This record gives sequence, C-alpha cells and structure tokens, in this order.
Amino acid sequence: MAELRGSSGDAPHHVLTRWFGTPDLHTLDVYESKAGGYKALRKALFDMAPADITNEVKTSGLRGRGGAGFATGVKWSFINRDAPGPKYVVVNADESEPGTAKDRYILENSPHMVVEGILIAAYAVGANQAWVYIRGEYDVPRRMLAEAIEEARAKGYIGASPMGKDYPLDIQLYRGHGAYICGEETALLESLEGKRAQPRSRPPFPAVKGAWGRPTLLNNVETLATVPAILNIGGAEYAKLGTQKSPGTRLLTVSGNVRKPGVYEVELGKTFRHVIMELAGGPPEGRKVKVFWPGGSSAPVLPESMLDVTTDMEALAAARSMGGSGGVIVMDDTHCVVEAAHRLLQFYAHESCGKCTPCRVGQDWAVRTYERILSNQGSQVELDILQRVSDGLQNGRCLCGLGDSGGWVIDSTMRHFRNEYEDHALRHQCNVGKVAAHA
Amino acid sequence: MSALSAHVLEEIKELPARFPQPRSAVMPALDLAQEELGHLTPEAMSEVAEALELDPGYVEGVATFYSLFHLSPVGKHHFYICTNLSCSIKGSGEIVERFKQAAGVGEPDAVSADGLFSYQEVECLGACEFAPMLRLDQRYHYDLTPEKIDALVAESRGLLPIHGEVPAKPAEGLVAKKPRAPRKKKADG
Repeated sequence: MAELRGSSGDAPHHVLTRWFGTPDLHTLDVYESKAGGYKALRKALFDMAPADITNEVKTSGLRGRGGAGFATGVKWSFINRDAPGPKYVVVNADESEPGTAKDRYILENSPHMVVEGILIAAYAVGANQAWVYIRGEYDVPRRMLAEAIEEARAKGYIGASPMGKDYPLDIQLYRGHGAYICGEETALLESLEGKRAQPRSRPPFPAVKGAWGRPTLLNNVETLATVPAILNIGGAEYAKLGTQKSPGTRLLTVSGNVRKPGVYEVELGKTFRHVIMELAGGPPEGRKVKVFWPGGSSAPVLPESMLDVTTDMEALAAARSMGGSGGVIVMDDTHCVVEAAHRLLQFYAHESCGKCTPCRVGQDWAVRTYERILSNQGSQVELDILQRVSDGLQNGRCLCGLGDSGGWVIDSTMRHFRNEYEDHALRHQCNVGKVAAHA
Repeated sequence: MSALSAHVLEEIKELPARFPQPRSAVMPALDLAQEELGHLTPEAMSEVAEALELDPGYVEGVATFYSLFHLSPVGKHHFYICTNLSCSIKGSGEIVERFKQAAGVGEPDAVSADGLFSYQEVECLGACEFAPMLRLDQRYHYDLTPEKIDALVAESRGLLPIHGEVPAKPAEGLVAKKPRAPRKKKADG
C-alpha cells in the first residue's frame, strides 16, 4: 500500500476514510471483520427492495463526486429496472482531472468499498453486469481492484448467486489508454465500445441508451464508495452531514504550494481556508496563497481573497466557480498566473478530442496567443483574442465540458488577475518572481 | 512473415468473446501487440485488424487517439513524467531536464543511444499529493528530486539495486478472465 497522505482513522466526519490506515484493509478479510464491510450489500440483497435502496440514496442527498454533482439517487431512478434485456453499471475510474487523486486514494486503500458499492448499485438498478473503466496509468489501483474482485468472487459475493441471493452479479475491468476525455461519460462509453473517445450528443442519455446501446448507469468511484456507508447509517443520517443542498462529505485532493498536500475528507460547507490553511498546512514559510483552483483545473480560479468561500456546490456556484472533481490546486505568490493558464490551455488543446470545431481550434488558438504574450510579443490585440476565444469555447458551443473548461481557465484568470495579463501583454514584463524557472 | 507471433494472434482472436460486442476488443488487442513489439507498427496494426475482422484504418484510428499506445520505438525504460499544473508548480521542469541529461535523451519520444531510455511529458497522473511524480515500468515514483532521477536512471541501467517493492507484474489480459462461450466464427473467418 502506498504511503497515506491525507485523511484516515476515526473522526466525526470520516465516512469514507474511517478505516483507512488499518493494516491490510484492502483484503476482504480485514474489510469485512474490522471495517464492517459487505454488511450493506447483505442488507441490500436481503432486507431491501431495489426501489428502497434507490430511495435511501435519494434521501441521503448524495451528489455525484465525478464533477457534475448530479443527484445520485435521481440518476439511479432513471434506469427502468423492468426493461427487458441487459443493463449495465459502468464505473468511471478514469480519474484524470488535473489536481485530482481521490479515486486512486480510495482504490489503493479500500478497493472492497468500491466493489461493495458497485454491487449494491447494480442490484438497485436491475443490472447484472458492471464494467469498471479504469485509466491505464493506474497500474497499482487496477491490480488491487482486480484482486478485490477475485476475492469477492471466491467468497461468493460476486457470481451467479451472490451471498445466496438468486440474482447474478458480475464485475469486469476495462483498461483505458490515456485520454482525459474519457472522464466524460459518453466519451468513456465510446472508448469502452472500442472506439476513439469522442463524446456523444444527448439525448439519448446513457440511462436509456448507454454502453453497447443498453440502459446504463454511470457513476464515479467515490460516489459508489459512499453508497455502503449510506445504507449502513441510513440516508437521513448521512444527510445531516454537510449543507442542505450539498449533503455529506467528499474527498478533496489538495496539491501545489501547501506544506501538507494530501487527500482530505471534508464535510461540505467547510471553507477553503480550513482546507488549505489548516488541513493542508498553508503555503511554505514566507509565501502567500495567490490563487486556487477549487475543483480541478476545470473549475474557474478563485483568488486568495476568496478563501472563505465554502466547499458546497451552491457557494462555489455563487463565487462563479464549481466543486468539480474536488481537486484543490494551490499556487503561491512566487508563481505567475499567466504561465499557469498557458500550461492548462496546452493541456486542454492536447486533450481536445477534435470532434467540435470551437474546442479543436479554439484551445489551440489560445495556446498560440499565450505563447505570443509570454514571449513579449503581446499587445491589446492578444488580450482581446483571448477573451473572444474564451467566449467561443463556452456556453454550450461544444458537445461536452472540455471546451468550456479551457474557456473558464482563460476567463477566470483574466477576471481575477487582469494586472498580470496586462504586465505581460502590454508592458512585456512579469512582476512575479521565479517565473522563468518553471516555464 | 507476420509482425506478431502466432500465439499472440490466437490470443487476440479470443478477445472479442469477452465483450457484449466484439469491437471492444480493439484496445486489449493493441495492448497485446504492443507488449510483444514495444510499439505499434503499421504491420502489427493491420494484423490486429485482420484478427478482429476490422478495417486497418479503423484500428489505426483508435491507436493514434490514445497516448499510451506508442507508434514509434520507445526505450526499454519509458519515463512518463507528469508536467501538469500540480507537478509543474513543484518543479517538474527541472525533473525533465535532469532526466534528459542523466539518460542521454534529447527530446520526447527519442530513444537514448543505448536503447534503454525514452520519455514523454504527460498530463496529470492522479497522484498530485506526491508531486512532482512520474510513472516508470508500471510503478509511480513520488516526491521527485534531481537526485532521485539520477538514482532511478542508475537503477534502470542495473547499476543500483532496485529498492522498494518489486515492480508490478505486466498487466495481463486487462479484461475479463472468466471463460465464456467462444464467438461464432464467420464462415469466411
């Protein structure tokens, strides 16, 4: 097991990470005997009707932890359990939003928690087969999850009659091959079907026509890992955590210029000041937080003055950002925001799948404009171009969120750090120390 | 003579039966091809296409989309160095430069003269709390410093004992192991 850098052990708000740090938690034996594992599956299979399970998840108010924050129980209820023919649960383990490592943290610490969540979800929505689409670079998490699945199969928790229940359940793994776009659910489905991962237009939504044309429930790893706890403590109890509209806890990956980077379980509604300055120890000695990305690189940036914004989705929306994937990237005052935005636009340009013109052309255009600005060839013209490209990428002009994400980076960094852009573009200077060191 | 050995082609032909639709086998099949050859040659992609009864252009289209498929030769030890924001804030630029010096590699996707090393700068690998980091031989390496890069390169050359845990076994199959009924063969198959 990798070194634990983040939340673990007993604390009132540790729903997911309560047992993290327990030796051999990744084995079925320890998960079951020490952490009360597979109790929730037993309860689901024998004491609850499928609709009750979905209702319990609805009551919990759990919202998807992958990025969009859609109500999980509502999503489950979109699958017509009685429709004839195969239905699938597809698990999004393609974690690749920059600054996000929480699904890896879960898979490396407690893979059985994910397996248990998957089995419960499959039973609730009427699926017999689940597929975990896991990113190709996650060699260790994939191996650990595969071993957990095999252990559960050997124990009779996966198979033709799990725990003796006459309801076949199976989980298979599918390895991704390095494409950020696969985090987008319909691109992930294309990839699972053996195609280039390009998002589909919707409708039809995956709940109606998903993997291999069949009704499909798509959930993120963390979302499903939360499900056993919800069944164990009850949806109403879970909903007491967090805020009314963003209940519960979530894992925030804090990285960048902080003294204690890590994956922290946080009750939604806590401030980013608590997360960044207390949990993660704040910036290194003598430096100040300049800017942070509150929910992965795609979430519009917030300046230091907004550290008191809270982590719930409503507060973030009011601050013109979003909770996204929970990846909190912190940058201190020795770094240049324009350089950082350039790096992220390179990322979005590289990962654009090429299907929609605004994204394919726009991200690249933005990169070239940043290059001119950063090589002291900029002027007001370049600043205007960036603003236009940013507008062109946003507001539903692309099939998926990748276009918007690049636009948000440009837009939010220009909004909060106009002076740094003007220093570079108009005065051909950078007033931030240490910039050239990490160009 | 074919690029892929007979047993690999046989294995590839068995893949489609593991999926609800046979096309899903294309990436696991390309994995097997790459495992054997180190990278995907046009001949190998054509043979994969033939084995899966797909159009060669289609298979190549899939292979070129995903960054873990190599279309040109790579070194025996290929370094995937993350240079996305969390790692670049923590100095991944310096890590890349040090690797290039230590391994004798000039640019991304070039192979060192001894055939041992190559690298690519990759996007976020999802281990940001350990930045800067890289992936090498199916393992992640964390909290990188120039000295750690020197040590990794030396270990890869066999000059230093590999410390830490035993490297992961090569990912095998990568999909279902459960035997299922073989797919019906087409008459002309």
